[in-house]
Amino acid sequence: MNLYKMAFNNIRRRKLRSALTMLGIIIGVATIVVLVGITAGATSVVKEETSSLMYDVTISPSLSSGSSLMDNQTASKVESYPKLYNVTEFTGFQETINGNDVTIQGTNNWKQLKLKTGSSGVVVDSGVAEKLGYTVGSKVKIKDQDMTVTGIAKENGENIYVDQSLAKQMADNKVSAITARTYGDPKTVAEDLQNNITGVSAQTKSEKVAEVQDMVNQSMLFASIIASVGLLVGIISVINTMLISVMERTKQLGILKAIGFTNGEIMGSTLFEAGILGFLGAVIGVVIGAVGIFAAANALHFTDYMSEMLPVWLIVTVIVGSTVLSILAGLYPARRASKLNVVEALRDE
Amino acid sequence: MSNLIEFNDVWKTYKMGEEEVNALAGLDLTLKEGSFTAVMGPSGSGKSTFLHIAGILDMPTEGTFRIKGKDTSRLSSKEQAHLRRNEIGFVFQRFNLMPQLTALENVMLPMIDEDLEKAKKLMDRMGLAGKYNKRPGQLSGGEQQRVVISRALINDPSIVLADEPTGELDSKNADAIMQILQDLNKKDGVTIVVVTHNRESAEFADAIIEMKDGKIIS
Repeated sequence: MNLYKMAFNNIRRRKLRSALTMLGIIIGVATIVVLVGITAGATSVVKEETSSLMYDVTISPSLSSGSSLMDNQTASKVESYPKLYNVTEFTGFQETINGNDVTIQGTNNWKQLKLKTGSSGVVVDSGVAEKLGYTVGSKVKIKDQDMTVTGIAKENGENIYVDQSLAKQMADNKVSAITARTYGDPKTVAEDLQNNITGVSAQTKSEKVAEVQDMVNQSMLFASIIASVGLLVGIISVINTMLISVMERTKQLGILKAIGFTNGEIMGSTLFEAGILGFLGAVIGVVIGAVGIFAAANALHFTDYMSEMLPVWLIVTVIVGSTVLSILAGLYPARRASKLNVVEALRDE
Repeated sequence: MSNLIEFNDVWKTYKMGEEEVNALAGLDLTLKEGSFTAVMGPSGSGKSTFLHIAGILDMPTEGTFRIKGKDTSRLSSKEQAHLRRNEIGFVFQRFNLMPQLTALENVMLPMIDEDLEKAKKLMDRMGLAGKYNKRPGQLSGGEQQRVVISRALINDPSIVLADEPTGELDSKNADAIMQILQDLNKKDGVTIVVVTHNRESAEFADAIIEMKDGKIIS
């Protein structure tokens, strides 16, 4: 029988008291998990949806070049241009299948594509599917490539989406456009680029998208701050409970001292008890928060983003944080417990 | 036999509002190893304070108290705690058990090297066989006091200090408890000091000391 086991017993024996103490922590932690989770989810959604717009310039073959595709050599020149970063290639080209015109589109980001059925890989627009009678599993042959349709998009267009690398390969390693961020003013960079590399034209885009992403990041910080206030209230209730419990147990602590436990041991067991309260409260809070996140994800159709909404770092941070803060909250009561005068404590009824 | 505890002109002064009260007023006392002493006296005579200082629960205001030759005022609080745990066994008047623990857990609470068999054997000897898993609330006063004595003896202390151990017991149970203490003294050579105001209980001891106004009068 040691003091730590006894501290654990104290929590178990006073279930209602322990539950009420933990309630503050539970609510605080659950609020943090839900608020931060939803905001993180929303941030991911916004970032995904806008990432295709996150570029400053679009470089495509100039009209004078007489082709809608630029060869690999030109593309390499553009991509190694020093004032560009986050360079992304796009390849799209026309094909005729059974007399119907379709556009083959290379894509780097399947999440942006809204699917009606199936999964990513080879996705056809529902317009194409209707005209050509495609369903998931249908065989398609494009430029001597045998492919199987894996999904149907909601869009009623004329596109067939494949991985960008595959599209580029099918188009003899040519690309139709390159998007990139720029170092410095996009307009100047675009003009320089057109002057230095022949056969390309460059257009600039507004920076609104970056502003939107910044705003989402800000809202995440704001949500975290609000939720932290909730946790703070929970921690204060730990201080309160531990103080009451030390006062209630004055006589017991006196006995422990009389039979030879050191001040350090008594302080340690009190801190241990506070830490257990904080840890258990946080674990329960995370579980409740996770349920809340799941419900919210369903309601907001964010289910694709579950892993972003309930990140491991958040769970670890709140559990460790709540435990550490609870131990800190136990410090003052623990000091009081260890400094008790034995003779007076034994007289306590 | 060597000296186990020594009080050397010990004073203990408390402030009661404006007034200063001398709970101990120049106490001189030496108890040898293996002795069995009863301390008697009216309330306010200083006998409880005497026991608290003997048990290192309190420090003299003036004078020195030594246990096994060590001046307790020179020890750190950790060293004091270790002395209490290793050398001293306490038996309180109001039983003072942990209500949430079983009898066996209470006995083993201060145990330094956990040894279940030793604890059970000790409880059996105290007449507590079969009561291991009862909680203090389920035991009679006499049984609770036996648990307290078992706890006091679990680390084989050199001295047992008992503060009115029979104060809340009927005479039959009181005699049984005193008999146990006498046995411990005679058979195991444990030094025992009992503070009591019950003459019958005191008669079990080899020597009776009378206290009054913080001093020994006989």
